Amino acid sequence: MAFDAGRRQRAPVRIGVLGALLMLFCLMVGVVAVLLLRTDADDSGDNGNRIVYGLTLEPSGFDPHRHISSELGIPLFSVYDTLVYRHPQTMEFVPGLAERWEMAPDGLSWTFYLKQGVTFHDGTPFDAQAVGANLDRVMNPGIGSAKARGLLGPFAGYEIVDPFTIRLNLSEPYAPLLDGLSQVYLGIASPTALASYSNNTYQWHQVGTGPYRVEEIVPGDRIVLTRNDDYAWGPVFYAPVTGQSLDMIEFRFFTDPPTRSLALESGAIQMIGELLPTDTELLVGNPALQIFRVPIAGTPQQFFINTRRSPGDEQSFRQALLYATNRTAIVDAVFQGQSPLAYGPLTAVTPFYDPGVAEKYPFDPDFARGLLQGIGYQDTDSDGVLDRDGAPLELTMVFAPWNQMSDVAQLIQSQWRDIGIDVELIQVPDYPTLAAYAEEGDYDLISLYDFAVEASILNQFYQSDGARNWSGVSDPELDEWLEDAIRTPNQADRAQLYAAIQDRIMEQALVLPIRDYVNLNGASARLDGVIFGAHGWWPLLRNFQLTS
Amino acid sequence: MSAAARNPRLAVALGVLGLIALVSLGAPWIASHDPRAAEPENQLLEPSGEYLFGTDLLGRDVFSRVVYGGRRTLGVALLTAGITLAPGIAIGLVAGYAGRWLDWALMSVMDALLAFPSLLLALALVTVFGSGVVQIAFAVGIAGIPAYARVVRAAVLEARAVPYVEAARAIGARPAGILARHVVPAIATPLLSFAGVTLSWAILNSAALMFLGYGGDVAAPDWGVMLADGRESFRTGPWVAVAPGVALSLTVFAINLLGNSVAPPPANR
Repeated sequence: MAFDAGRRQRAPVRIGVLGALLMLFCLMVGVVAVLLLRTDADDSGDNGNRIVYGLTLEPSGFDPHRHISSELGIPLFSVYDTLVYRHPQTMEFVPGLAERWEMAPDGLSWTFYLKQGVTFHDGTPFDAQAVGANLDRVMNPGIGSAKARGLLGPFAGYEIVDPFTIRLNLSEPYAPLLDGLSQVYLGIASPTALASYSNNTYQWHQVGTGPYRVEEIVPGDRIVLTRNDDYAWGPVFYAPVTGQSLDMIEFRFFTDPPTRSLALESGAIQMIGELLPTDTELLVGNPALQIFRVPIAGTPQQFFINTRRSPGDEQSFRQALLYATNRTAIVDAVFQGQSPLAYGPLTAVTPFYDPGVAEKYPFDPDFARGLLQGIGYQDTDSDGVLDRDGAPLELTMVFAPWNQMSDVAQLIQSQWRDIGIDVELIQVPDYPTLAAYAEEGDYDLISLYDFAVEASILNQFYQSDGARNWSGVSDPELDEWLEDAIRTPNQADRAQLYAAIQDRIMEQALVLPIRDYVNLNGASARLDGVIFGAHGWWPLLRNFQLTS
Repeated sequence: MSAAARNPRLAVALGVLGLIALVSLGAPWIASHDPRAAEPENQLLEPSGEYLFGTDLLGRDVFSRVVYGGRRTLGVALLTAGITLAPGIAIGLVAGYAGRWLDWALMSVMDALLAFPSLLLALALVTVFGSGVVQIAFAVGIAGIPAYARVVRAAVLEARAVPYVEAARAIGARPAGILARHVVPAIATPLLSFAGVTLSWAILNSAALMFLGYGGDVAAPDWGVMLADGRESFRTGPWVAVAPGVALSLTVFAINLLGNSVAPPPANR
């Protein structure tokens, strides 16, 4: 056939054209592939100094006015400014968006004189109206503030004195007010942005006055911040911008603890917190990395002892539990010795911590046995478990699995078995289940801890009507001290009260402290100026430098 | 000549399973240490004569925990398989034999359940039931029923159409009698074979729930729990996760092999 003949004759040419087309196509595919891959790789070059920062959990929400997670402050503490700041070294209050402030002699109002010339990332000017709009939002029950509302304490309204002066009124004196105002939860957001989005959608379009602006938030995937070059109103501890300051920070989630050290070593991220203690040990020798062990103020990792039921209602019994616990062994094994032992209801870096608590309750199993004997416990049936009135000494310990708590609980179980106490361990999956146990009261020990630079965090745990009084303590004198300590502005008086409070809590053995919380951060050795705010969790990204 | 000798796959499967069963039953005599005794000063020791598979973060002997772990892991799996098989067979038989609207109703429910991946269904159920080994067995067991019921029904449909079953029906034998005397023996082989698959699936899924922390007792030696523990210290002590992982894989492999080797022999025997 003609067609056949033609093909035979022109075959070399046709193959040549086809081949050329094929080669061209292959080449194009290759170029496209390279281009696709290059755009990815080029991000770091084109955007200047860029790092990826690993976040360790996906908070249920990212709106600091509404949500409670400490994690949200890691990006957002640099997006917002607060009226005042705590100096990370001295813990003293220094000017933020307020250049000065004063408390009325009766302690019932605070006047804040605001900085002028400050603008939000969206161009909205900052003034007293903006602060008022933020206070209105936080106080609005409709937004369901989990943390910010509580930080304002007995807040009773505000008056705008002039465009740059605002007065906050309180129904009673409240010493922790400044601390609350220094936290990301009370960061000042743009009133324009707050009005443009709903209470729920604002969290993905946050606008502040801080050194970094939100470029994008993709829920569950990433948060991208870029530098705010107009920023000129930072607190005294913010470093000036240099050629090595970060231009862009991308936050990504590494919720699975074992993956964090690997991501850091591979260079996928330049910084992350909450490394596993065993992994941290491995990273110490790596010259490309550095480790920052940041102690966190607040309560230690601890167990409350239920005083509402037997045998936790007996002081000697509670004391025996403290003497029977070898904290050193727990911290060495589970936390690889990278956390200080905890001795009292506050961690050692918390202002008003009383070092006196450290002398109480050394590990002394014999003394613990003596105390238990003193209240009638003996092993009458020689089964290794103490008993009294025919009932064996069995305790229920409830905890959530965060922060190696399961390992801690298993070691305590094994230590207490040695002196004849049988412990049933109940691990619950999340906070609501834990709180449900607390509500029902069906436990002898329950684990709960929280973070704050303010010693007034103790009120919720140890006041008889405290929101999370899970030890069930009811001590009128303790109540009075706790009340007084948040009313008096005098630091020396507060120190004295908190010393008495800590002493009483430990004398009563209401809590079994295990270790002071330490956030194990890992960072690329190229990062300089790594520093955290006074509250421990939140990095001061403004001061970070990327060296080459 | 025994079946095992004629069938090397069967021999290997039975050998491995027998060994695992023996070790699990004889755990108190075989384990060299108390599987729950924490000795933090001996944490993460490499495998040695004293600690055959090394020690974990809390200084417990991994070998003893693997040995004891078989008891819990296999016990839960057997219970799980039972919970799957009994209702699975019953539903499959009834639906397949009765046919018509009953078949349609039962299978619609089963299909609706099949729409969920079984592990997800088990996860949803265990959050309702709460933590604990029995709860896990029920959650995983119930999640497995639809697949088993479908297989049984398919086999019954095939068996029902066989002439001697039709003949039995024609002479007016009672349905229960026909099911017991004719249908069940006819479908025994595929049922048994799929039971093996169900068992290995039960082991994996219950271990997965244990791994996720639904087992209740966090200190219990259990292969799933040990895998979870071992993950946290994988870089400093890989043996903590590897030992229970190998035990788990070996068991599942052997059960699958067993299921394969009892499958219908080639037609040309």
